[in-house]
Amino acid sequence: MSMFSMQKGTRKNERRLLLLVLAFGVLLLENITSAQIYLPKSPPEPSEYGKVILDNYSRAGPGAVVFDHWLHRSKFTCRLCHVDVGFAMQAKATGIRASTNRQGFHCGACHDGKKLFEGKPIFAACSDAVNDQQCDRCHSLGKEGVRKYEYRTFTAKFPKGIYGVNWDAAEKSGVIKPVDFVEGLSVKKATMQSREDFALKAGYSWVHPINFSHEKHSIWNGCELCHPEIFPSAPKGTIHFSMFSNIEGRYCGACHGKVAFPLNNCQRCHPNGPLWAP
Amino acid sequence: MFKVKFKATIITVLLFIGLVGLCSVRAMGGPQSSAAQAEPAKETWRKEFDDVCSKTQDAMTFSQEELTDLIRRCDALLPQIEKLDESLKKVYMERLRKCRGLYVYVLDAKRNEKK
Amino acid sequence: MNKKIFIALALILVFCGSAPSQTGVKKKRPLPYEYGRVIIDNYSDKADLAPVVFEHWIHRSMFTCRVCHVDVGFAMKAGATGITAADNARGYYCGSCHNGKRVVDGKTVFQACSRKVNLEDEKRCLRCHSYGQKVASDFDFFKFSEPLPKERFGNGVDWEKSEELGLIKPASFLEGASTSKGNAFVVQKDFALNPKVEGMPDIIFSHRKHTVWNGCELCHPDIFMGVKRGTVKYSMVDISQGKSCGACHTTVAFPLTDCQRCHSKPVS
Repeated sequence: MSMFSMQKGTRKNERRLLLLVLAFGVLLLENITSAQIYLPKSPPEPSEYGKVILDNYSRAGPGAVVFDHWLHRSKFTCRLCHVDVGFAMQAKATGIRASTNRQGFHCGACHDGKKLFEGKPIFAACSDAVNDQQCDRCHSLGKEGVRKYEYRTFTAKFPKGIYGVNWDAAEKSGVIKPVDFVEGLSVKKATMQSREDFALKAGYSWVHPINFSHEKHSIWNGCELCHPEIFPSAPKGTIHFSMFSNIEGRYCGACHGKVAFPLNNCQRCHPNGPLWAP
Repeated sequence: MFKVKFKATIITVLLFIGLVGLCSVRAMGGPQSSAAQAEPAKETWRKEFDDVCSKTQDAMTFSQEELTDLIRRCDALLPQIEKLDESLKKVYMERLRKCRGLYVYVLDAKRNEKK
Repeated sequence: MNKKIFIALALILVFCGSAPSQTGVKKKRPLPYEYGRVIIDNYSDKADLAPVVFEHWIHRSMFTCRVCHVDVGFAMKAGATGITAADNARGYYCGSCHNGKRVVDGKTVFQACSRKVNLEDEKRCLRCHSYGQKVASDFDFFKFSEPLPKERFGNGVDWEKSEELGLIKPASFLEGASTSKGNAFVVQKDFALNPKVEGMPDIIFSHRKHTVWNGCELCHPDIFMGVKRGTVKYSMVDISQGKSCGACHTTVAFPLTDCQRCHSKPVS
C-alpha cells in the first residue's frame, strides 16, 4: 500500500475498528454479566401466569384462543397433554388447527363432545354444530364474560406460594387429583422404576446445590416429556446448562418460567438457606 | 454384382431376425422387458447376482471359505455392473455394495469368534 | 492489517449474536399421519414440479422394510437415493411397482413418471408431487388405522401387533426385484443390552423381529458395524442424532420417546 492510500483509508478503518471493538465489548460484557447475575423477569399476575395465546389461524375467524394452564393443570398431569396428546411446549410449535381438532387430535382428543369428565361430556372444540357461544369459550381474547371458570374463585381453596398456587402442596393435601390416564387416549405401559431425587452442583461455589425432585417430576411428567428432547439421555453431569439457558426457555426453563413455578422462586430449587451463605 | 446381392441378402436376413426379436420382446411387455432387452451378457450377470446375493439371509450358516468365495464372486460382478446403463448401474451398484458388505461383516464376525 | 482485524471482529460479532442452538427444548411432534413422511426434492423443483411427498404408512402395511430398502434399493435418508424420473420410467425404484402393470391387492398400481406425459396425466403426477398442493389422497389414514391396534407416538399404530393379528400382511418378496425367497432363512435370536445409566431397565433387542422385517444387509454393516457384541457402545445422544437405532427409530419406526418399547426387561 502506498503512503497516500494508507493515509486516506486509515482514518476510516480506524473508526470502523473502534466501533466494532465497542460493539464487541458491549456484547461480551453483557454475556459475562448475564451469565453471572442475570435475573429472570418478574412473572405476571398468578391469574395470567401460564396463559398461552394461540393466534396462528384464528385471526380471520373467531379470534385468538386463550389457554389458561391452571384449569387443566388442576385436573390432569402434564404428561397426559404433553405426551399422550402431543402438545408442544413452545408457541406455534404444535400446529393446532380447527381441522386437527375435529379429527380428534390436540384439543379434540378430549374436546370431542363424547368423552366424559366427572360424568359430563366435554364440549366439542371447533365443532360445526354449535352456536357461537361455544366458540367463545376458547376464542376469548378481548371478550368479556365468556369464560366459564374464573381464576380467583376456582383456586380459592388451593394452597398458595409466593407466586400463586403451590401445585405440589395442592396435590399433597388432596385438593387436586390430577388424572394421568384417559381411556381411548392413553396407552397402558409398563411402569418404569421410580427415579430417585438427586443433587445438582451449581456452577458457582457461592450457590447452594439444587435438590432435584426427580421422583415428583416423573410422577407428573412420565419420562418421555423430558427425555430425550429436553434433557438428552446422557450420563449425569455431562450436559452442562446454566441459569442463562433456563431463562432462555431451555432445559428447566422449558417449564419453569412459563407454567411451572418461576425461576425467581430461588428457594424452591436452591433450598438450603441464603444463596450467599458459605 | 454377386457381392452386392450377397450383402443385400445378409442385411435383409439380419433385419428380419431383429424384427422377430423386437416383436417377441414387446410381447413380454413392460419394464421387465427393458431390463431383459439386449445382449445375453446382461442375463448372465443378473443370474449371477441373483445367485450370490440371494444367500444373504443364510450368511451366518456359511463357513469362512464359503463366505470368502461369495465375496470373490461379488468382486467379479463389480466390473460387469459398472458397464450397465445409468439406472441399472445405480440400483445394482448399491445392492451389490450391501450384499458384499454383509458377507464381509459376517466373515469378520466369524474370524472374531475364533479369536 | 486493519482490514483483517475488521473482518475478524465482524465475524466474531456475527457468531456472538447468532441464535442459540436448539438443545433443551421439546421438538414439534408430527401428527400420526405425518409421521414417516419423506419429502424428496432432488430434481422436482428443477423440473417445475412440486417436491414428492412419500408417506411410509401406506407402504409399510404392504411390504417389509427389506423389500424397498434392500431389494429395490432405496437409501435410508431423504434425497440420498437420487431417484430420477428416468429411473422410474425404466422400472427402477418407484417404477419397480408403479409401472401401470403390477397388481397389488387386486388394484393396478399407477405408473410413476412415464416417458410421455399428456395433460390428463397431471392428476397422476400430483399423486406424488404433492408438496404444498391440495391433493386428496386415495388412502385415508383414519379409515386405514381405525381397525389396527393402537400405540403411543409415531403413527399411533402398533405395527408389530397388527402383523401378529393378521390385520396387515407385509410381503417380503417382490417379483422382479427380490432375489431371496424371503421367509426361508435363519432368524437371529433376541438378546439383552445393558444400558449405561443405572436404574434404566435392560433393553431387550428383538433381533428376530428385526431380521424378519429387514433382512441382514439393511443394518449390517452400514448401521451396525460392530462384529463382536458389546464392543460398540451406543449412547442415546448418538441414537437421537440418527446413528445406530436412530436410523429408523427417529423418523419411521416408533420414536425414542417410547422408552418402554426397548427398555422392557422387567426390573427385579
